[in-house]
Amino acid sequence: MKLLTATNRYYVLLSAGLFALGSAVLYVGVNHAVRSEVSEQLENHRRELEARVASGRPLPEPVYRAQYSLNTRPRPTGYSDTTLLDPYEHELVPHRQLTFRVLRAGQPPVWVTLRKSLVETDELLGAILSTMLGVMGLLLLGIIVVNRYLSKVLWAPFQRTLAQLRGYDLQQHRALDLPAPAIEEFAELNQALTHLSRRLVADYESLREFTANAAHETQTPLAIMQAQLEQLLQLPALAEDAAAAPLLADLYGATRRLSRLHQALGLLSRIENGQYTQAVPLDLAALIREKAEQLAPLLDARGLALHLHLAALPPRPLHPGLADSLLHNLLHNAIRHNLPGGDVAVRLTADALEVSNPGPVVSGDPARFFERFRKHNAASESPGLGLSIVQHICAYYGFGLAYEFAPAGARHTLRVAFGPARTPASPLTRAAVARPAGL
Amino acid sequence: MKILLVEDEPALRSTLIEALRQGGYVVEVAADFAQAYEKVKLYRYDCVLLDLTLPDGNGLDLLRALKAESSTTGVLVISARNGLDDRVAGLDLGADDYLAKPFHLSELNARLRAIIRRRRFQGQNHLVFRDLVVWPEQAEVQVNGEALTLTRKEYDLLLYLLANPGRVLTKEAIAEHLCGDSVDAADSFDFIYTHLKNLRKKLQEKGAENYIRTMYGVGYKLSAE
Repeated sequence: MKLLTATNRYYVLLSAGLFALGSAVLYVGVNHAVRSEVSEQLENHRRELEARVASGRPLPEPVYRAQYSLNTRPRPTGYSDTTLLDPYEHELVPHRQLTFRVLRAGQPPVWVTLRKSLVETDELLGAILSTMLGVMGLLLLGIIVVNRYLSKVLWAPFQRTLAQLRGYDLQQHRALDLPAPAIEEFAELNQALTHLSRRLVADYESLREFTANAAHETQTPLAIMQAQLEQLLQLPALAEDAAAAPLLADLYGATRRLSRLHQALGLLSRIENGQYTQAVPLDLAALIREKAEQLAPLLDARGLALHLHLAALPPRPLHPGLADSLLHNLLHNAIRHNLPGGDVAVRLTADALEVSNPGPVVSGDPARFFERFRKHNAASESPGLGLSIVQHICAYYGFGLAYEFAPAGARHTLRVAFGPARTPASPLTRAAVARPAGL
Repeated sequence: MKILLVEDEPALRSTLIEALRQGGYVVEVAADFAQAYEKVKLYRYDCVLLDLTLPDGNGLDLLRALKAESSTTGVLVISARNGLDDRVAGLDLGADDYLAKPFHLSELNARLRAIIRRRRFQGQNHLVFRDLVVWPEQAEVQVNGEALTLTRKEYDLLLYLLANPGRVLTKEAIAEHLCGDSVDAADSFDFIYTHLKNLRKKLQEKGAENYIRTMYGVGYKLSAE
């Protein structure tokens, strides 16, 4: 609910309550005033009649039966309300009446009833009430209309701020530039947001700089180490010392691993920082074929068959580097954690990419396979970042990533759904306590 | 063949100089942008090995300067910046190749040779090693005048060895050369072994000597002895 709708609701509720109360009070008040006025008039008439009797003159004969009647039999005295039938209009008309006893010298007492029609006062009441109610109704309507108008005019700066926030993209490395509206609260809000965005941009920039510098500063000494080790390996003296060369080779391999680890971490942090915004339309099927060809020696060396089921799809906008990394890590994972003589099946459809392979059942929480530095075999040479990279890339593009294990055939499947994550369709393939192990 | 090496890290510079001289190149050195700029304006080189991050400038500007005068000099960028965007920027500006640090010296050699071959001989070059002749543009291999049929990977492997005669090639370097950057070393050794075995067999069937020496625990070497 909008803030203004909420406040409006309270205002209208309050107004409606007051409106009902006001109507009741008005009705009772006016009714009371009118009746006491009528009673006063009847009282005046009574005094006049009594004065007339006291001065010895006879009571007048009734002319209008409805307004003045005489009775020789006792009647309850005092004020009361009654209805009389109007013989001409054939309707019951409310009257107020005053009955009193008149004592005349030498004559039996007579009960006089004075009546006054209340019809006029009803109309009066109606007129007053309708005027009042009309005015109050208009007031209520006015409140709603004015509030609606105010929401458009007064809250416009807020809406503008909101729109700018919605369109805000840290990638542009620009702080928000919000105007200072006349309303103090909005001005403060804008100021706070501008300040916040400036800090965000500064932090983001320094992080980016750090990532770039760290990558650069680490790769350079590694490059020196690696080049020098490689030169060292060329020394003729090494050929004579059978033990020294493998030591150097191990050292050389270690610098390579360190460099690869660093590149993977750098890639992860760059994905997290969202530094891969440029996307070009990519034909995933062609890319998979290309990758498969690149990895063919690995497949051959392990005697693995490759089954590709690639649907021809329209190109999908992706960052080429990320797409390459995604496919590489998925395929590599399937090759690495395979069984001898097994296979790698890649299925690309309009809504998902599935890479599956047979492999040993492994225990653990499937959700944790994607964590950094998780690996199936602690002694493995790889740093365990492959699936973490896959997960980051999927998260970056909003793809769902699911791991499924089918006990029949012991197949591990990694499924990248080009859409939000879905639960596995059949209970057989539900994510089980098994995994293809992190890279 | 004359090479200009633009690199600001002294340790890496001296190692590269040594390796390049061993490879038979004449090497000139520039440690910063200003020196490099002066040298490319004054002299002609077959290839420039260009580091992008220099203390007083960006290597890409040097690349621009070279390209502005449509020089025939080849340019091989060596950079610690391994972002795809950096690669694309370098290649778009006209660099012949891009090698991310850290790299294998043997890989550098192979790429350098490819660039110089393309630049100087318009591809009409062939590599000779004893009784072995390779025409890289046609991807043809002959042993004693007889054509040799190799698979793509075997051919790549042979070319890599030929680019680094007498040099020990580590298994990592060979694996990455054949399979791209990101192949983990542990996976690669068995397939290298298979390819090498096949290559040796094919060479020997045509009567070539076994030039490919195994250096146990390290890698392989193409050797005439």
